[in-house]
Amino acid sequence: MNKKMQVAITLGFMCFLLTLGIVLQVNTVNKATETVGQARAENGLRDQVLKWKEKYDVTYENLTKAEKQLESLRQSAVQNDENAKDMEKSLSEANILLGITEVTGNGITINLEDGKDLIHQEDLIMIVNELKNAGAEAISINNQRMISTSFISCDGNVILIDGNKIGTPFTVLAIGNPEMLYGAINRNGGFIKYLQDYGIKAEVKKTENIKIPKYNGIIDSKYMKIAE
Amino acid sequence: MVLVAIIIGCLIGVLVGSVLPIIPYTISGYLAISIIAALDSVFGGITSSLKGNFDLKIFVSGFFINAILSILLTYLGEKLNIDIYLAAIVVFVGRMFNNLGFIRRYYIEKWTKKNKKQEETQQ
Repeated sequence: MNKKMQVAITLGFMCFLLTLGIVLQVNTVNKATETVGQARAENGLRDQVLKWKEKYDVTYENLTKAEKQLESLRQSAVQNDENAKDMEKSLSEANILLGITEVTGNGITINLEDGKDLIHQEDLIMIVNELKNAGAEAISINNQRMISTSFISCDGNVILIDGNKIGTPFTVLAIGNPEMLYGAINRNGGFIKYLQDYGIKAEVKKTENIKIPKYNGIIDSKYMKIAE
Repeated sequence: MVLVAIIIGCLIGVLVGSVLPIIPYTISGYLAISIIAALDSVFGGITSSLKGNFDLKIFVSGFFINAILSILLTYLGEKLNIDIYLAAIVVFVGRMFNNLGFIRRYYIEKWTKKNKKQEETQQ
């Protein structure tokens, strides 16, 4: 009798657990199908992001090719025309100033890495400002070209340059007079010394033949017009 | 007595289950696989009791350990990004059908035997 009682209680308890689980599960599934399975939606989104990224890369490659073709076509078109040659020259000069061509020259390299303190967007803004003050002609941070409309902003634990995410360590390249840039950035009481005092690993060196990539975005103007 | 305990257990389970709040969706996947594992053990238990070699210890340990193991396997599968729970479901449901088949055959054979006996006695 006692043994049978034990069996009955055990089986009863197991049935309790089983039906409890089934009812809980049914309730949950009913509720979940109302609000759409979250895990599945996330997986779908991730797939989509990856697909779009791939498409973007392919399209960007095509664009680069097309630009090169355009450039060579323009070159051959203006070869025999003296007037057009002048136009072409001023156009490419304007492009260099705008920052939509890859440029090379001597200048300095600044390597920044998080140390005891983190690098914030204000630090990059200060450095870019000092470089401009010292006559830098082209500046890039982690291969993002700074142009006249570029902005640096903070986005959680990364920094945005013109909306593109970059993270530590940072490499700032600047083309200009190497002596001037080096002196301005590395002077006693200058901004690099200040960062180093705060525990950020910063290193400045003069570099020859720096290559700075072109600006990848679109330069557009909607509101400004040529004044009469 | 055993039957009464089972029915009472089921009733309490339904009542408590409908009162309790719903669980997070991620956990419900684990609960589902453990329910399938437990159901498999129940049918296995019925089969073995019909065969006459039912052992409560084996039944109870199978009920809980299969459920826990299937949860762990599902978790591992999620970490490895492979749907291991599909394999568990195939195994458990396959076994459930086997056991159900055995139970069906057992009762059909019993029924036909009974019919034959009745015919013999009538003759």
